[in-house]
Amino acid sequence: MMATFLLPILSAEDKADHAWNQIVPQNSDDLLEIQDRLQSLLPKVQGAVVSIEASDGAGSGVIISKDGLVLTAAHVIGTSNKKMTVRLPNGKRFPAISLGGSELSDAGMLKITKAGSWPYAKMAPRGSASLGDWCFGLGHPGGFDKARGIVVRVGRVIGNKDETMQTDSRLLGGDSGGPLFDFHGQVIAIHSRISKQPDENFHVPIESFLANWDFFQNSKLFTLAQMEEGGFLGVACKETPDGVKVIEAIEGSAAEKSGLKPNDLILSVNGEKIDNREELTILLASKKPSDEIKLEYQRDGKSQSLKIKLGDRPTE
Amino acid sequence: MKVAVLISLLFSWFSSQAQDKNNTLLLAEKFRLNGVSTQKAFGHAQKQALSTTVRLIRNDKLIAMGGIVDSRGYVLTKASDCVGAREAETSDGKTYRLKIKKRDEKTDLALYQLLSNDQVFPVLNWGEGNSTRTGSWVLSSYSMLKEIRAGVTSGKPRKIGREGGVMGVILGAEGDDIGGVRISEVVPQAAAYKAGIQEGDVITKVDGRRVKKRDQVVKLVGSNDPGDVVRIEVKRDSDLKSYNVTLGHRSVTFDLFNRNLQMSGPVSKRKDNFPMILQHDLPLPKNSMGGPLFNLEGECIGFNIARVDRVTIYALPESQVRNTLSKFLGK
Repeated sequence: MMATFLLPILSAEDKADHAWNQIVPQNSDDLLEIQDRLQSLLPKVQGAVVSIEASDGAGSGVIISKDGLVLTAAHVIGTSNKKMTVRLPNGKRFPAISLGGSELSDAGMLKITKAGSWPYAKMAPRGSASLGDWCFGLGHPGGFDKARGIVVRVGRVIGNKDETMQTDSRLLGGDSGGPLFDFHGQVIAIHSRISKQPDENFHVPIESFLANWDFFQNSKLFTLAQMEEGGFLGVACKETPDGVKVIEAIEGSAAEKSGLKPNDLILSVNGEKIDNREELTILLASKKPSDEIKLEYQRDGKSQSLKIKLGDRPTE
Repeated sequence: MKVAVLISLLFSWFSSQAQDKNNTLLLAEKFRLNGVSTQKAFGHAQKQALSTTVRLIRNDKLIAMGGIVDSRGYVLTKASDCVGAREAETSDGKTYRLKIKKRDEKTDLALYQLLSNDQVFPVLNWGEGNSTRTGSWVLSSYSMLKEIRAGVTSGKPRKIGREGGVMGVILGAEGDDIGGVRISEVVPQAAAYKAGIQEGDVITKVDGRRVKKRDQVVKLVGSNDPGDVVRIEVKRDSDLKSYNVTLGHRSVTFDLFNRNLQMSGPVSKRKDNFPMILQHDLPLPKNSMGGPLFNLEGECIGFNIARVDRVTIYALPESQVRNTLSKFLGK
């Protein structure tokens, strides 16, 4: 009883207390609070930020487990089972091997192969980043440089949809794979691509990793070529707070023939719970075009189940 | 709960501009890091930046920014970008004739004076910039002196070494059996290309010194500055040839190849050889270097001295700038 009374009050205070939770800073005091928060978080998270070196280039990454799992971008690892080198902020190099990822979202994973107890950063839970959140990006643009240190940039989440997060925290080549943190010091995304406008860069949301964790960790790399060849259901989906929602069942596709309709929520495929759009794409593409799947979905609040024979992806 | 409140507030504040062509919801521009609402929060610092920064103009074009350091209208700027400036404009729209007073090669700073009979100019206040921690707010006036650009100090303060001149070639195989150092690529339109050097040529001598290893070539050539002439002897098939190569700037030569920089707009020609710099991430174009950099209190903590790439600007810290200014003023 007490708790239910207290909770809303605490939340309201929490919001009023912190400048980084406001829609926009009002004055230099708010800005100072944002700066102080950033500077208090930096020493806590920087130790987990690494530079990644391979024979054909360099990028950045972040250690997210004590045993040395590193999140980065798919285009930084390139392929699975590749020997790479991870460089800690103190300049020391350690051997690593690339695991898996997805070319769709550009999520990539690798592992430090030397046993040890590694400094690591916390990942944000699913769905914690929202439009307008303050964030900061770290990385080693242009490669490791001890005199310069890890480069810090600050900004806000300006877009967050499906497999892509956009921020105005600035990026450069070599930042690729580096972490984007929220103002709680949690990893909310991984740097992926720069845009022509320096203030609209692209990141892989942490949800892409969380939804496909086992797939990535088992050294499976989902490629766009695989998507072309795999089974084709024929739904256009978007991610909503309720789940992965059908917006269109493409004419003549397996989805349309099976009776799937806009606003249906996709719940699972062959018993595998679907957490995001990319996971659905990866699952379907790992089937052959003639395979049958069992699809669970929700329509008008009711769960239903269908057996669907997949088809070929139309060539355009 | 907190998140939900934020979202609902944002949504209610959204106007039509919040949807792009893919119907994606984006944060309205005014709330972004350099949106007008965020700029306003800088208050006093914003006013200081705008009132003490000037636009330096040549042939009706902005070529650099400057900062007013003395009420008599003395302006400091980046020397190598400001060559030939004749006119200056202040944020109130007034224009002044300009006179150059001094230049300093080491810091790439120059002192100009705005010519005026009776005007007393607003002067920037100095802050202490050398100890600025990474992740501190910084701001500068944007090109038109109507807005500011804000960001943070993004790397450690440090010395930036000399880069030396470059020929614009990629060196390949080396050694005794080759008889020198083979050129595997010649950057189009760069120094070596203009001199007549070709891909496949084997460099045998640099300024008369015999070379067999890539390191030797890099060291001998790099000991010269951009603009210096280096004599290169090469073996082409069985012929021996000799070329005078006028060296170029590393940034201009190789950055042409860099996709990042193609997407970022021009960078400063000189971005090396500074005794100490502050690094920050303000989105300012090349022609807005030379202007003052401010902290949250509105104090000048340095002068923007080089646009390095799309996310990196070097600023000379206040102590360096003030040393040079004292020298300029004969103190």
